[in-house]
Amino acid sequence: MRATVAAILFILPSLCLNAQNGPAFEAAKAIGLERSSYRKPATAARISPDAKPEADLETFRTKIEPLLRESCYQCHGEEKQKGKFRVDTLDPNLLSGGDQSWWLEVIDVISNGEMPPVDDDVELADEGRAEIIDWLSNEIHVASQVRRSEGGHSSFRRMTRYEYNYALQDLLGLQFDFARDLPPETESEDGFQNSSEMLQMSASQFSQYREIARQALRKSTVRGEQPKPIHFEISMTEMTERATRNFESQKKKIEDKFKDDPEKLAKGLEKLSNSNSRNVSLNDVHLINSKAVAISPPRSGYGGKEIRWDPVEEKPQPPTETENQLIIPAGKEQIFDFGDFLPDSGTVLVRFRGSRGSVEEGSYPNLRIRFGFQPSNNSKTSFQVGGKTIAIKAAPNDPQFFEFQVPLGEVSRNPYRGNGVLGRRPNPSEYLIFENMTMAKASPSNQIKIDYVEVTAPYFSQWPPESHKRIFIESEKSDDEKATAREVLSAFMARAWRRPVLDSEIDRKVKLFVKLRPSCEDFEDAMIEVLAGVLSSPQFLYLAQSDETADKLTEHELATRLSMFLWCSVPDSELLDLTESGELSDPKVLSQQTERMLADPKAKRFSEQFTRQWLGMQLLDFLNVDKKFFNQFDADLRNSMKGEPIAFFHELLQENGSVLNFLHADYAMLNERMAVHYGIPDVHGNEFQRVVLKPESRRGGLLTQAGLLAMNSDGKDSHPLKRGIWLLENILHDPPPPPPPAVPEIDLTDPDILKLTLKDRMEDHRNDPACMSCHAKIDPWGIAFENFDAVGRWRDEIGKDAVDANSVLFNQQKLEGMEGLKLFLLENRQDQFARSMVHKLASYALGRPISFADRADLEQITADLRKHDDRLATLITLIVTSEIFVSK
Amino acid sequence: MNTRLSSLDRRKFIRGVGGFALALPAFETFSGVAKAKATSAGKKRLACFYMPDGVPMPRKDDPAFQDWSWFPHGSGRDFKLTKCLGPLESLRDDLTIVGGLSNPAVRNIHGHSNADQFLTSANTGANGDYKNGVSIDQVFAEKSGEHTRFASLVLSTDGGTGSPRGAQTLSYNKNGRPIPAEHRPKRIFDTLFVKSNDDAARQLAMSESALDDLMEDARSLQRTLSKSDQERLDEYLQSVRDTELRVEKAKQWIDIPFPKVDADRLTLDVTPEDPLNYLRTMYELIYLAFKTDSTRSVTYQLGRENGVGASDYLARAIGFNLTHQLTHQTKQPDGWKNLGSYCRFLNEEFGRFASRLKATPEIDGTGNMLDNTLLYFGSASSAFHTSRNYPLILTGGKNMGFKHGQYLKYGQGNEDNQADAGVSTDKGWRTEAEHQELPIADLYVTMLQRLGVETETFAGSSKTLSEI
Repeated sequence: MRATVAAILFILPSLCLNAQNGPAFEAAKAIGLERSSYRKPATAARISPDAKPEADLETFRTKIEPLLRESCYQCHGEEKQKGKFRVDTLDPNLLSGGDQSWWLEVIDVISNGEMPPVDDDVELADEGRAEIIDWLSNEIHVASQVRRSEGGHSSFRRMTRYEYNYALQDLLGLQFDFARDLPPETESEDGFQNSSEMLQMSASQFSQYREIARQALRKSTVRGEQPKPIHFEISMTEMTERATRNFESQKKKIEDKFKDDPEKLAKGLEKLSNSNSRNVSLNDVHLINSKAVAISPPRSGYGGKEIRWDPVEEKPQPPTETENQLIIPAGKEQIFDFGDFLPDSGTVLVRFRGSRGSVEEGSYPNLRIRFGFQPSNNSKTSFQVGGKTIAIKAAPNDPQFFEFQVPLGEVSRNPYRGNGVLGRRPNPSEYLIFENMTMAKASPSNQIKIDYVEVTAPYFSQWPPESHKRIFIESEKSDDEKATAREVLSAFMARAWRRPVLDSEIDRKVKLFVKLRPSCEDFEDAMIEVLAGVLSSPQFLYLAQSDETADKLTEHELATRLSMFLWCSVPDSELLDLTESGELSDPKVLSQQTERMLADPKAKRFSEQFTRQWLGMQLLDFLNVDKKFFNQFDADLRNSMKGEPIAFFHELLQENGSVLNFLHADYAMLNERMAVHYGIPDVHGNEFQRVVLKPESRRGGLLTQAGLLAMNSDGKDSHPLKRGIWLLENILHDPPPPPPPAVPEIDLTDPDILKLTLKDRMEDHRNDPACMSCHAKIDPWGIAFENFDAVGRWRDEIGKDAVDANSVLFNQQKLEGMEGLKLFLLENRQDQFARSMVHKLASYALGRPISFADRADLEQITADLRKHDDRLATLITLIVTSEIFVSK
Repeated sequence: MNTRLSSLDRRKFIRGVGGFALALPAFETFSGVAKAKATSAGKKRLACFYMPDGVPMPRKDDPAFQDWSWFPHGSGRDFKLTKCLGPLESLRDDLTIVGGLSNPAVRNIHGHSNADQFLTSANTGANGDYKNGVSIDQVFAEKSGEHTRFASLVLSTDGGTGSPRGAQTLSYNKNGRPIPAEHRPKRIFDTLFVKSNDDAARQLAMSESALDDLMEDARSLQRTLSKSDQERLDEYLQSVRDTELRVEKAKQWIDIPFPKVDADRLTLDVTPEDPLNYLRTMYELIYLAFKTDSTRSVTYQLGRENGVGASDYLARAIGFNLTHQLTHQTKQPDGWKNLGSYCRFLNEEFGRFASRLKATPEIDGTGNMLDNTLLYFGSASSAFHTSRNYPLILTGGKNMGFKHGQYLKYGQGNEDNQADAGVSTDKGWRTEAEHQELPIADLYVTMLQRLGVETETFAGSSKTLSEI
């Protein structure tokens, strides 16, 4: 084995000189694994049940201290204290002393070769280094286990904004954005929003919870008879007839006006013909019939021209013929105007029958819809609705029905509807825009063909709606309001508070109902007020842990922690049933449930929330790219950039792949927009799909993902410092110290400084010894990213100069660009990365800061992870079945 | 489309906006402290006014330049008002004219779309999705509203909210949603001085019971927690207590009688069809609202952009048919003079209102009302629909530290206001600005601080303008 590794090491340098090469990375992964300290047999547990744990001061005195004196005391001792740090005065007793956090620093810098610095005259031989690390790991392990029993941070906290949102969605069965008006959360040091230390409560936020609960319950419930829906029936045959009628009537007007002036008549008719339907461009939206005659659809307008569709009462029948069709080429859109007839609330169902233009290989069309209105010429707005884009792959001879649903009460509406005159300003009309959002060059294969559109509002799949029936359950006692209230409350409270509810608790709510009833219009009204209270109660808002059990979570608390972790929401009935029978805490059951939950669609929320917070992606939300540098940065690209890391995480989770893929992988999850951005051909559609990467693509893993690179730039150019810090904080969990208060600015008016490249400028800037100590550890990492510009594209030149992405780490290790960076990490930092993943996932899972007391458990999880090929889903299970997860 | 009205949920009217808050469209109430005696010690007031579509900005070589430029000639303390602002000469030492400010995010967007962001300085964009932020008056009202029956009064000639990028209100709440404006003098008078919201007492009583119950929930949860967790839950308990206090205060206002105001001198059924009297009545109501301390924060959008709505009739007061058209006809004979005369008319009425405040002593005899009231008058449109170099006037509020008596010009490269002068086509707002302007949010931070709001920032700015 060693010989093979040596052989690979020999061949490696020549392979690396070319573009990123699969075998090189695979070899690096193997090397790194060989070097893992987790491969050594686990140290025998030093805590036996009977013996009292003790610090190993003997080994320290005889072996460790001499090593430290030789290699560390010169700079960190009595004479000198570099970095204001002394090793000689550290208390070697980690169990009872107070220097644990310093010893953690020591083990980190010795493990990754940062100390002693390579260019100084002290040395630390490999065996000595290993001895120190061994002793320290043991001591830390024992000390952390001792600390556990002393208690650490509590994870008692309120639900975060996004958890509250999902909890309401799951409880009520409505997919609305309930938390829209709540203030954003603050991130903890680790970047997580669900950290117990950061989640606070104020009076105004409390009032918002009450109001949101009230509104949400009103939206979930109904009264009386099912409202009669109105329908809009849009057939392209009718649209063609309208366009023809329009044209004929305009022609007649001109003929009448100039009937005595043949010259003006001819001119007028020519102008009409040029500007109007007869001269349609096939590259634009057009109507076409079976004889391939094309005309323009009627143009929509806010003032004067009424092209709206009028509602009908009878449910329309789709026509059997498809003589006339609407063609929407790639990148174009068509407006359907509905006047002001759409109701104030309820769902509007938008159905259409369509296909793509032809079934060639290659790009197919994607449709999304926007809702909008334009009351006057400078006042217009439109925004995406329907929650998805639809890939239209149906063949032209076999058109299919597709549909969207839009909750009308949840979107911005035209304030003039019902108050304006259609066709005049302010125009009260509202419209839907059908957009063919395919990025590829227009061709028949990515055209959308539609022959029929049908709109129904309000649409209910059942009456009363399911959300209503969940709350107002069937009751036999429907005459006795108080008894019905009790039934409704018992069912609702148990689900909302995620535990069995005491009779006394229900009694109190029934009493409130009785008190409020006289002031309310009817039973439902009063019920909604009381249920809003149930959803504003701390029993719902907070994830509590009772003090009654010693240090294990109760079954219910465990169920809540598990569902918050994997679904960002309240437990479902299957989980709650298991808690009734007390089975959940059985590790086998926990494993099974973890598997079930990760396979559930709701696990996408976990992928999204964890990835966003882990990688600090809120920076992407605020990214402003300079238009002069790159003018194609639009909402679609931003959303795709945000989606890529999340899709990648989710894919890795579903296939239970190795977390090392985050450092480099031979595939990526791309949609058409991202593929175009990267210059990767033949990826179609708006959904993220697995794409095998060729080495020339220069992509693979998180470090080359455009969104992550763009958010660590300044809108015009790369920002090596931000990228270096991001790598250290988010990926390696080795955050640099914060900058000192008075950092002098670079004098950009100095012509000499302007001449330097960015890399040289940084070196010049940090040459100040005060700055050197920290920046020597940060900048080199960031320089390795220099081949990627401010929107993550690969570049070989910056202006006229070639990119110089080579740097040297503190220990003289060279990093040659992104490839060199990845190889270095894979060969030397696998353990660090594994520990980082465990730390980040555990912080998120527990909802509290990680403390020294947790260290032993996390080390154990890391060791197990490394023994299981570093698999991601396995890691989740390891965390869920670990001591720390089932304890307070 | 009357089916709409009948299908409206009646309960919406009963319940109003927000839990226990008294709610009629124009008046947001939070709570009020019942003060036995009205004192004016440290009292501060704010009123914001907006005029749309633009102001006269003729070129230097145009004969109308001398008399009809909106901005004064000169600078600093040495400035000469033109005929546009002439009516304000008697208030010279109580006012500051400001130029060279705008919202950087929307400088390349048509002025007609930009009334929305005048008091919010948010990036409201040109099309597509729309998002706005909180307006300065609401930031101020959150604090000042603790002392008055109504936290703020939101008015406009056209009423309602308008639509995204076509605002008919100046005020936006914390979530960037428009606060509907009232436009009917009778309704304004009734709400301020006559009728109370009957439903308020019922809602407040319900709130009290609901809060009681939540307190019980919290206490029973607390009993099961560890000591340190109990401390964390204290935040929730404190929040409930604070809300209970607010309900208490709101209840007190129900028992306090309305101030007695004589309606005989007012013509409350006037509409913009009689623009002169309409405008005077609106100003009178604002004056009365301040005088009775019913509120300390008012916004009044004199007209919405683009001439859509009743506000377009205001120019009839001086014999022109439609107001917005005046900004399009500046190249015609007397074009600048006509537009300038309209500005002059608006400034006359505004000046009359400000002078009235100046002539009214504070109740406790500590000076006049104008010294405690900051009046902010301006537009997001200056030269023909370009949204730069906003024409702005600050009046009053001397007790808050405004120096006044000056014409301050900020930015660089447009000191003579010629950058877009004489423009009468879309070429104006479509061209990139060659000169520099300061973000108007700097002014807003300054204003908020002088108004006693403890803040270092507003809409992304953390700078102030010390000269003001």
